Amino acid sequence: MAHQADAKRALDERGYTGALIRGDNPLKLFEKPVRDRIVDSYYWKEQCFGLNAATLLDRAVELSFIGGTYGVAQKPTPFLCLAFKLLQITPGREIIMFYLEQEEYKYLRALAAFYIRLAWEKDEDVYKTLEPYLNDMRKLKRRTREGWALTYMDQFIDDLLINTRVCATTLPKINPRLFLEDEDRLEPRESALGEELEEMENEDEDAGSEGEVEEVANGDAARNGRSISEQRERSEER
Amino acid sequence: MGDRKAGAYGTSTGGDTAFRKTWDRDEYAAKAVERDQRIKEEGKARHEAAAAGKKYVRRASTPPDARDTEARKARLNVADQVGKTSIVPAGAGQGKRGKGAGFYCDACDLTFKDNLQFVEHLNSKQHLVATGESGEVRRATLEEVKDRFEWLKRKRDEETAKDAVDLGTRIENAREIEEKEREEKRRKRNEKRRKTKDGMGVPEVKVENDGNIF
Repeated sequence: MAHQADAKRALDERGYTGALIRGDNPLKLFEKPVRDRIVDSYYWKEQCFGLNAATLLDRAVELSFIGGTYGVAQKPTPFLCLAFKLLQITPGREIIMFYLEQEEYKYLRALAAFYIRLAWEKDEDVYKTLEPYLNDMRKLKRRTREGWALTYMDQFIDDLLINTRVCATTLPKINPRLFLEDEDRLEPRESALGEELEEMENEDEDAGSEGEVEEVANGDAARNGRSISEQRERSEER
Repeated sequence: MGDRKAGAYGTSTGGDTAFRKTWDRDEYAAKAVERDQRIKEEGKARHEAAAAGKKYVRRASTPPDARDTEARKARLNVADQVGKTSIVPAGAGQGKRGKGAGFYCDACDLTFKDNLQFVEHLNSKQHLVATGESGEVRRATLEEVKDRFEWLKRKRDEETAKDAVDLGTRIENAREIEEKEREEKRRKRNEKRRKTKDGMGVPEVKVENDGNIF
Protein backbone atom coordinates (compact mmCIF):
# COMPACT_ATOMS: atom_id res chain seq x y z
CA MET A 1 0.00 0.00 0.00
CA ALA A 2 1.30 3.34 -0.97
CA HIS A 3 0.16 6.76 -1.92
CA GLN A 4 1.58 9.49 -4.08
CA ALA A 5 4.15 11.89 -2.69
CA ASP A 6 2.27 14.96 -3.89
CA ALA A 7 -1.34 15.66 -4.77
CA LYS A 8 -0.79 16.12 -8.48
CA ARG A 9 -2.47 12.94 -9.55
CA ALA A 10 -5.27 13.24 -7.00
CA LEU A 11 -6.09 16.70 -8.31
CA ASP A 12 -6.09 15.63 -11.95
CA GLU A 13 -9.45 16.49 -13.48
CA ARG A 14 -9.32 13.51 -15.80
CA GLY A 15 -10.24 11.00 -13.20
CA TYR A 16 -9.50 10.00 -9.68
CA THR A 17 -8.89 6.58 -8.26
CA GLY A 18 -8.45 6.30 -4.56
CA ALA A 19 -10.22 6.57 -1.27
CA LEU A 20 -13.61 8.28 -1.45
CA ILE A 21 -15.35 10.42 1.12
CA ARG A 22 -19.07 10.92 0.59
CA GLY A 23 -18.60 9.34 -2.82
CA ASP A 24 -16.17 11.97 -4.01
CA ASN A 25 -12.51 12.87 -4.07
CA PRO A 26 -11.63 13.90 -0.49
CA LEU A 27 -9.51 16.79 -1.72
CA LYS A 28 -12.64 18.39 -3.14
CA LEU A 29 -13.84 19.08 0.38
CA PHE A 30 -11.62 22.14 0.10
CA GLU A 31 -12.77 24.76 -2.33
CA LYS A 32 -10.97 25.19 -5.61
CA PRO A 33 -9.33 28.57 -4.84
CA VAL A 34 -8.06 27.32 -1.50
CA ARG A 35 -6.87 24.10 -3.10
CA ASP A 36 -4.89 26.02 -5.69
CA ARG A 37 -3.36 28.28 -3.08
CA ILE A 38 -2.30 25.34 -0.95
CA VAL A 39 -0.69 23.52 -3.86
CA ASP A 40 1.11 26.73 -4.85
CA SER A 41 2.38 27.51 -1.38
CA TYR A 42 6.01 27.02 -0.45
CA TYR A 43 5.10 25.25 2.77
CA TRP A 44 3.20 22.62 0.81
CA LYS A 45 5.98 22.07 -1.68
CA GLU A 46 8.79 21.99 0.79
CA GLN A 47 7.32 20.56 3.97
CA CYS A 48 4.38 18.46 2.86
CA PHE A 49 6.08 16.50 0.11
CA GLY A 50 6.16 12.77 0.70
CA LEU A 51 4.59 12.82 4.14
CA ASN A 52 2.80 9.81 5.50
CA ALA A 53 0.73 9.48 8.65
CA ALA A 54 3.88 9.04 10.76
CA THR A 55 6.10 11.74 9.31
CA LEU A 56 3.17 14.14 9.29
CA LEU A 57 3.59 14.20 13.06
CA ASP A 58 6.96 15.94 12.65
CA ARG A 59 5.21 18.86 11.03
CA ALA A 60 2.10 18.76 13.18
CA VAL A 61 3.99 19.06 16.46
CA GLU A 62 5.60 22.22 15.14
CA LEU A 63 2.25 23.89 14.49
CA SER A 64 1.80 26.98 16.58
CA PHE A 65 -1.50 28.33 15.35
CA ILE A 66 -4.65 27.33 13.52
CA GLY A 67 -6.46 29.25 10.81
CA GLY A 68 -7.49 29.29 7.21
CA THR A 69 -5.92 31.77 4.86
CA TYR A 70 -4.26 35.03 5.74
CA GLY A 71 -2.90 38.19 4.27
CA VAL A 72 -3.84 40.02 1.11
CA ALA A 73 -2.62 37.10 -0.98
CA GLN A 74 -4.68 34.72 1.18
CA LYS A 75 -1.80 32.43 1.92
CA PRO A 76 -2.86 29.13 3.46
CA THR A 77 -1.68 28.41 7.00
CA PRO A 78 0.42 25.32 7.74
CA PHE A 79 -2.59 24.03 9.64
CA LEU A 80 -4.68 24.12 6.49
CA CYS A 81 -1.92 22.54 4.39
CA LEU A 82 -1.58 19.65 6.82
CA ALA A 83 -5.35 19.14 6.88
CA PHE A 84 -5.19 18.97 3.10
CA LYS A 85 -2.40 16.43 3.32
CA LEU A 86 -4.45 14.36 5.74
CA LEU A 87 -7.32 14.36 3.26
CA GLN A 88 -4.92 13.19 0.59
CA ILE A 89 -3.47 10.29 2.53
CA THR A 90 -6.75 9.48 4.35
CA PRO A 91 -5.21 7.60 7.26
CA GLY A 92 -7.17 4.92 9.07
CA ARG A 93 -9.64 5.70 11.80
CA GLU A 94 -7.39 4.40 14.55
CA ILE A 95 -4.56 6.73 13.51
CA ILE A 96 -6.85 9.75 13.56
CA MET A 97 -8.16 8.70 16.96
CA PHE A 98 -4.58 8.46 18.17
CA TYR A 99 -3.96 12.03 16.97
CA LEU A 100 -7.09 13.18 18.75
CA GLU A 101 -6.56 11.35 22.02
CA GLN A 102 -2.98 12.35 22.69
CA GLU A 103 -2.63 15.05 25.33
CA GLU A 104 0.76 16.47 24.44
CA TYR A 105 0.17 18.61 21.38
CA LYS A 106 -3.00 20.68 21.27
CA TYR A 107 -2.64 21.77 17.66
CA LEU A 108 -2.39 18.14 16.59
CA ARG A 109 -5.65 17.52 18.40
CA ALA A 110 -7.24 20.51 16.69
CA LEU A 111 -6.04 19.15 13.36
CA ALA A 112 -7.54 15.74 14.04
CA ALA A 113 -10.84 17.31 15.13
CA PHE A 114 -10.96 19.37 11.95
CA TYR A 115 -10.27 16.28 9.86
CA ILE A 116 -12.94 14.26 11.66
CA ARG A 117 -15.55 16.93 11.06
CA LEU A 118 -14.60 17.05 7.38
CA ALA A 119 -14.14 13.40 6.60
CA TRP A 120 -16.35 11.29 8.80
CA GLU A 121 -19.64 10.60 7.22
CA LYS A 122 -21.87 9.61 10.13
CA ASP A 123 -23.22 12.57 12.10
CA GLU A 124 -23.51 10.56 15.31
CA ASP A 125 -19.85 9.55 15.10
CA VAL A 126 -18.76 13.13 14.70
CA TYR A 127 -20.78 14.32 17.70
CA LYS A 128 -19.80 11.39 19.88
CA THR A 129 -16.10 11.70 19.06
CA LEU A 130 -15.74 15.44 19.27
CA GLU A 131 -18.01 16.34 22.18
CA PRO A 132 -15.77 14.90 24.93
CA TYR A 133 -13.19 17.49 23.92
CA LEU A 134 -15.52 20.31 24.80
CA ASN A 135 -13.92 19.87 28.21
CA ASP A 136 -10.51 20.79 26.84
CA MET A 137 -10.08 24.45 27.71
CA ARG A 138 -6.59 25.03 26.35
CA LYS A 139 -5.89 28.20 24.43
CA LEU A 140 -5.39 28.13 20.69
CA LYS A 141 -3.84 30.85 18.62
CA ARG A 142 -5.80 31.55 15.48
CA ARG A 143 -4.50 33.42 12.48
CA THR A 144 -7.24 35.53 10.97
CA ARG A 145 -7.33 37.24 7.59
CA GLU A 146 -5.40 40.14 9.05
CA GLY A 147 -3.94 39.63 12.48
CA TRP A 148 -4.35 37.13 15.24
CA ALA A 149 -7.11 36.02 17.57
CA LEU A 150 -7.30 33.93 20.69
CA THR A 151 -9.63 31.00 20.87
CA TYR A 152 -9.97 27.85 22.95
CA MET A 153 -10.11 24.20 22.12
CA ASP A 154 -13.71 23.85 23.30
CA GLN A 155 -14.69 26.89 21.29
CA PHE A 156 -12.98 25.52 18.21
CA ILE A 157 -14.74 22.17 18.54
CA ASP A 158 -18.02 23.96 19.10
CA ASP A 159 -17.43 26.01 15.95
CA LEU A 160 -16.82 22.80 14.06
CA LEU A 161 -20.11 21.33 15.24
CA ILE A 162 -22.26 24.42 14.74
CA ASN A 163 -20.74 26.77 12.18
CA THR A 164 -20.80 26.08 8.48
CA ARG A 165 -17.49 27.74 7.68
CA VAL A 166 -14.32 27.15 9.65
CA CYS A 167 -10.74 27.77 8.55
CA ALA A 168 -11.53 28.87 4.99
CA THR A 169 -13.47 25.68 4.41
CA THR A 170 -17.15 25.08 4.01
CA LEU A 171 -17.84 22.12 6.23
CA PRO A 172 -20.05 19.35 4.92
CA LYS A 173 -23.60 19.51 6.10
CA ILE A 174 -24.26 17.96 9.47
CA ASN A 175 -27.60 17.55 11.19
CA PRO A 176 -28.07 19.65 14.31
CA ARG A 177 -27.85 17.82 17.59
CA LEU A 178 -31.51 18.36 18.48
CA PHE A 179 -32.61 16.69 15.26
CA LEU A 180 -30.48 13.63 15.95
CA GLU A 181 -31.85 13.45 19.47
CA ASP A 182 -35.39 13.55 18.15
CA GLU A 183 -34.59 10.70 15.82
CA ASP A 184 -33.11 8.74 18.74
CA ARG A 185 -29.75 8.55 17.06
CA LEU A 186 -28.06 10.39 19.91
CA GLU A 187 -28.51 10.54 23.66
CA PRO A 188 -29.00 14.02 25.11
CA ARG A 189 -25.66 15.46 26.07
CA GLU A 190 -24.62 15.64 29.69
CA SER A 191 -23.06 19.00 30.29
CA ALA A 192 -19.81 19.00 32.18
CA LEU A 193 -21.27 21.67 34.43
CA GLY A 194 -23.98 19.19 35.46
CA GLU A 195 -26.26 20.41 38.20
CA GLU A 196 -24.46 23.70 38.54
CA LEU A 197 -25.96 24.77 35.26
CA GLU A 198 -29.50 24.02 36.44
CA GLU A 199 -28.92 25.89 39.65
CA MET A 200 -27.64 28.83 37.71
CA GLU A 201 -30.74 28.78 35.54
CA ASN A 202 -33.02 28.61 38.56
CA GLU A 203 -31.28 31.62 40.01
CA ASP A 204 -31.71 33.46 36.78
CA GLU A 205 -35.38 32.59 36.65
CA ASP A 206 -35.85 33.73 40.22
CA ALA A 207 -34.24 37.01 39.40
CA GLY A 208 -36.55 37.18 36.39
CA SER A 209 -33.97 38.78 34.20
CA GLU A 210 -33.93 38.48 30.42
CA GLY A 211 -36.47 36.50 28.47
CA GLU A 212 -33.70 34.82 26.56
CA VAL A 213 -32.55 32.81 29.51
CA GLU A 214 -35.75 30.79 29.52
CA GLU A 215 -34.80 29.33 26.20
CA VAL A 216 -31.71 27.87 27.77
CA ALA A 217 -33.74 25.86 30.29
CA ASN A 218 -32.58 22.24 30.54
CA GLY A 219 -29.98 22.58 27.88
CA ASP A 220 -26.54 23.86 27.27
CA ALA A 221 -24.94 25.79 24.50
CA ALA A 222 -24.49 23.06 21.95
CA ARG A 223 -28.02 21.73 22.39
CA ASN A 224 -29.49 25.10 21.95
CA GLY A 225 -27.71 25.76 18.71
CA ARG A 226 -25.95 28.74 20.17
CA SER A 227 -22.20 28.72 20.00
CA ILE A 228 -19.89 28.96 22.95
CA SER A 229 -18.28 32.05 21.54
CA GLU A 230 -21.62 33.84 21.58
CA GLN A 231 -22.19 32.76 25.14
CA ARG A 232 -18.78 33.96 26.18
CA GLU A 233 -19.51 37.35 24.69
CA ARG A 234 -22.83 37.48 26.45
CA SER A 235 -21.36 36.62 29.81
CA GLU A 236 -18.74 39.29 29.33
CA GLU A 237 -21.42 41.86 28.65
CA ARG A 238 -23.17 41.12 31.91
CA MET B 1 14.71 -16.46 -65.66
CA GLY B 2 18.10 -17.95 -64.86
CA ASP B 3 19.95 -18.23 -61.65
CA ARG B 4 18.62 -15.87 -58.94
CA LYS B 5 22.02 -15.25 -57.50
CA ALA B 6 23.50 -14.13 -60.77
CA GLY B 7 24.05 -10.45 -61.28
CA ALA B 8 22.58 -8.39 -64.08
CA TYR B 9 25.60 -9.14 -66.23
CA GLY B 10 25.71 -12.83 -65.49
CA THR B 11 28.34 -12.67 -62.75
CA SER B 12 27.96 -15.30 -60.10
CA THR B 13 28.96 -13.19 -57.08
CA GLY B 14 26.06 -10.80 -57.34
CA GLY B 15 28.40 -8.07 -58.53
CA ASP B 16 26.57 -4.81 -58.55
CA THR B 17 24.10 -5.83 -55.81
CA ALA B 18 26.78 -6.89 -53.33
CA PHE B 19 26.37 -3.57 -51.50
CA ARG B 20 22.90 -4.54 -50.32
CA LYS B 21 22.39 -5.39 -46.73
CA THR B 22 21.99 -9.05 -46.04
CA TRP B 23 19.28 -9.75 -43.50
CA ASP B 24 19.50 -12.24 -40.72
CA ARG B 25 16.18 -13.88 -41.33
CA ASP B 26 16.10 -15.89 -38.11
CA GLU B 27 16.67 -12.86 -35.93
CA TYR B 28 13.83 -10.96 -37.53
CA ALA B 29 11.54 -13.96 -37.40
CA ALA B 30 12.17 -14.22 -33.66
CA LYS B 31 11.49 -10.51 -33.27
CA ALA B 32 8.21 -10.83 -35.15
CA VAL B 33 7.10 -13.71 -32.94
CA GLU B 34 7.92 -11.69 -29.85
CA ARG B 35 6.00 -8.71 -31.13
CA ASP B 36 2.97 -10.83 -31.97
CA GLN B 37 3.03 -12.28 -28.52
CA ARG B 38 3.23 -8.86 -26.90
CA ILE B 39 0.32 -7.56 -28.93
CA LYS B 40 -1.69 -10.61 -28.06
CA GLU B 41 -1.00 -10.17 -24.36
CA GLU B 42 -1.87 -6.51 -24.46
CA GLY B 43 -5.09 -7.29 -26.30
CA LYS B 44 -5.95 -9.79 -23.63
CA ALA B 45 -5.28 -7.29 -20.85
CA ARG B 46 -7.31 -4.69 -22.73
CA HIS B 47 -10.19 -7.13 -23.07
CA GLU B 48 -10.06 -8.04 -19.39
CA ALA B 49 -10.03 -4.38 -18.37
CA ALA B 50 -13.02 -3.69 -20.61
CA ALA B 51 -14.87 -6.64 -19.09
CA ALA B 52 -14.20 -5.23 -15.63
CA GLY B 53 -15.49 -1.85 -16.80
CA LYS B 54 -12.12 -0.15 -16.61
CA LYS B 55 -9.92 1.61 -19.06
CA TYR B 56 -6.69 -0.09 -19.97
CA VAL B 57 -3.64 2.11 -19.63
CA ARG B 58 -0.26 0.78 -20.63
CA ARG B 59 2.32 1.82 -18.13
CA ALA B 60 6.05 1.99 -18.21
CA SER B 61 7.30 -0.39 -15.58
CA THR B 62 8.86 1.00 -12.42
CA PRO B 63 12.46 -0.12 -12.06
CA PRO B 64 12.63 -2.94 -9.53
CA ASP B 65 15.25 -1.22 -7.40
CA ALA B 66 13.30 2.02 -7.01
CA ARG B 67 12.81 2.92 -3.36
CA ASP B 68 9.89 4.69 -1.76
CA THR B 69 9.86 8.43 -1.63
CA GLU B 70 10.23 9.78 1.86
CA ALA B 71 9.52 13.09 3.47
CA ARG B 72 12.39 15.54 3.72
CA LYS B 73 14.36 14.99 6.89
CA ALA B 74 15.04 18.66 7.41
CA ARG B 75 14.05 21.98 6.02
CA LEU B 76 15.75 22.93 2.79
CA ASN B 77 18.64 25.13 3.73
CA VAL B 78 18.28 27.80 1.12
CA ALA B 79 20.52 30.25 2.95
CA ASP B 80 23.68 28.16 3.11
CA GLN B 81 25.23 29.91 0.12
CA VAL B 82 24.62 33.36 1.52
CA GLY B 83 27.81 35.33 2.01
CA LYS B 84 29.91 32.91 0.01
CA THR B 85 31.68 33.68 -3.20
CA SER B 86 31.83 31.00 -5.82
CA ILE B 87 33.61 30.90 -9.10
CA VAL B 88 31.40 30.05 -12.02
CA PRO B 89 33.19 28.84 -15.14
CA ALA B 90 32.76 31.16 -18.08
CA GLY B 91 30.06 29.94 -20.38
CA ALA B 92 28.96 27.42 -17.81
CA GLY B 93 25.59 25.96 -18.41
CA GLN B 94 23.15 26.63 -21.15
CA GLY B 95 19.99 27.78 -19.44
CA LYS B 96 19.52 25.51 -16.49
CA ARG B 97 21.93 22.87 -17.60
CA GLY B 98 25.25 22.50 -15.83
CA LYS B 99 26.66 24.07 -12.73
CA GLY B 100 26.19 27.77 -12.49
CA ALA B 101 25.25 30.42 -9.99
CA GLY B 102 22.22 29.39 -7.96
CA PHE B 103 20.81 26.23 -6.47
CA TYR B 104 22.53 23.26 -8.02
CA CYS B 105 21.04 19.77 -8.22
CA ASP B 106 23.78 17.15 -8.33
CA ALA B 107 21.64 14.29 -9.53
CA CYS B 108 20.19 16.08 -12.54
CA ASP B 109 23.03 18.51 -13.24
CA LEU B 110 20.71 21.50 -13.25
CA THR B 111 20.94 24.93 -11.70
CA PHE B 112 17.97 26.94 -10.52
CA LYS B 113 17.82 30.60 -9.84
CA ASP B 114 15.34 30.61 -6.97
CA ASN B 115 14.27 28.28 -4.21
CA LEU B 116 10.72 27.91 -5.50
CA GLN B 117 11.95 26.53 -8.81
CA PHE B 118 14.47 24.42 -6.95
CA VAL B 119 11.94 22.82 -4.63
CA GLU B 120 9.58 22.24 -7.52
CA HIS B 121 12.39 20.46 -9.29
CA LEU B 122 13.13 18.33 -6.22
CA ASN B 123 9.50 17.22 -6.25
CA SER B 124 9.43 16.59 -9.98
CA LYS B 125 9.28 13.23 -11.67
CA GLN B 126 12.55 13.97 -13.43
CA HIS B 127 14.42 14.34 -10.17
CA LEU B 128 12.73 11.37 -8.54
CA VAL B 129 13.68 9.15 -11.45
CA ALA B 130 17.24 10.45 -11.42
CA THR B 131 17.59 9.68 -7.72
CA GLY B 132 15.95 6.28 -8.06
CA GLU B 133 12.77 7.03 -6.17
CA SER B 134 9.37 5.74 -7.09
CA GLY B 135 7.38 8.85 -6.20
CA GLU B 136 5.18 6.75 -3.97
CA VAL B 137 5.11 6.94 -0.21
CA ARG B 138 4.64 3.93 1.96
CA ARG B 139 1.57 4.01 4.18
CA ALA B 140 2.31 4.24 7.87
CA THR B 141 0.74 1.82 10.30
CA LEU B 142 -0.59 2.76 13.71
CA GLU B 143 2.51 1.27 15.32
CA GLU B 144 4.78 3.49 13.28
CA VAL B 145 2.70 6.52 14.14
CA LYS B 146 2.94 5.70 17.83
CA ASP B 147 6.69 5.13 17.65
CA ARG B 148 7.19 8.38 15.83
CA PHE B 149 5.10 10.20 18.39
CA GLU B 150 7.10 8.76 21.28
CA TRP B 151 10.33 9.71 19.56
CA LEU B 152 9.15 13.28 18.99
CA LYS B 153 8.07 13.56 22.60
CA ARG B 154 11.42 12.30 23.82
CA LYS B 155 13.23 14.71 21.55
CA ARG B 156 11.20 17.62 22.84
CA ASP B 157 11.79 16.63 26.44
CA GLU B 158 15.51 16.40 25.88
CA GLU B 159 15.53 19.82 24.32
CA THR B 160 13.52 21.41 27.10
CA ALA B 161 15.78 19.80 29.70
CA LYS B 162 18.62 21.82 28.21
CA ASP B 163 16.75 25.06 28.85
CA ALA B 164 17.97 25.28 32.40
CA VAL B 165 17.98 28.57 34.24
CA ASP B 166 20.53 28.03 36.98
CA LEU B 167 24.12 28.87 36.26
CA GLY B 168 25.69 25.52 37.21
CA THR B 169 23.75 23.44 34.70
CA ARG B 170 24.20 26.03 31.99
CA ILE B 171 27.97 25.96 32.38
CA GLU B 172 27.80 22.16 32.36
CA ASN B 173 25.74 22.19 29.15
CA ALA B 174 28.10 24.65 27.48
CA ARG B 175 31.07 22.47 28.38
CA GLU B 176 29.35 19.41 26.90
CA ILE B 177 28.63 21.20 23.65
CA GLU B 178 32.20 22.45 23.44
CA GLU B 179 33.53 18.96 24.06
CA LYS B 180 31.34 17.61 21.29
CA GLU B 181 32.54 20.22 18.83
CA ARG B 182 36.16 19.49 19.70
CA GLU B 183 35.54 15.77 19.21
CA GLU B 184 34.04 16.45 15.81
CA LYS B 185 37.02 18.56 14.77
CA ARG B 186 39.44 15.87 15.90
CA ARG B 187 37.53 13.26 13.96
CA LYS B 188 37.65 15.35 10.80
CA ARG B 189 41.35 16.00 11.16
CA ASN B 190 42.10 12.31 11.60
CA GLU B 191 40.01 11.46 8.60
CA LYS B 192 41.93 13.92 6.49
CA ARG B 193 45.24 12.51 7.73
CA ARG B 194 44.19 8.99 6.84
CA LYS B 195 43.26 9.94 3.33
CA THR B 196 46.79 10.86 2.23
CA LYS B 197 49.21 8.02 1.47
CA ASP B 198 52.10 8.87 3.77
CA GLY B 199 49.79 9.51 6.71
CA MET B 200 51.21 13.00 7.13
CA GLY B 201 47.96 14.58 6.18
CA VAL B 202 47.37 17.36 3.78
CA PRO B 203 49.14 20.61 4.57
CA GLU B 204 46.92 23.22 6.09
CA VAL B 205 46.21 25.08 2.91
CA LYS B 206 42.63 25.80 2.10
CA VAL B 207 41.73 23.99 -1.09
CA GLU B 208 39.19 25.42 -3.39
CA ASN B 209 36.50 22.86 -2.89
CA ASP B 210 33.59 23.21 -5.24
CA GLY B 211 34.92 26.55 -6.34
CA ASN B 212 33.84 28.08 -3.05
CA ILE B 213 36.09 30.65 -1.51
CA PHE B 214 35.32 31.31 2.10
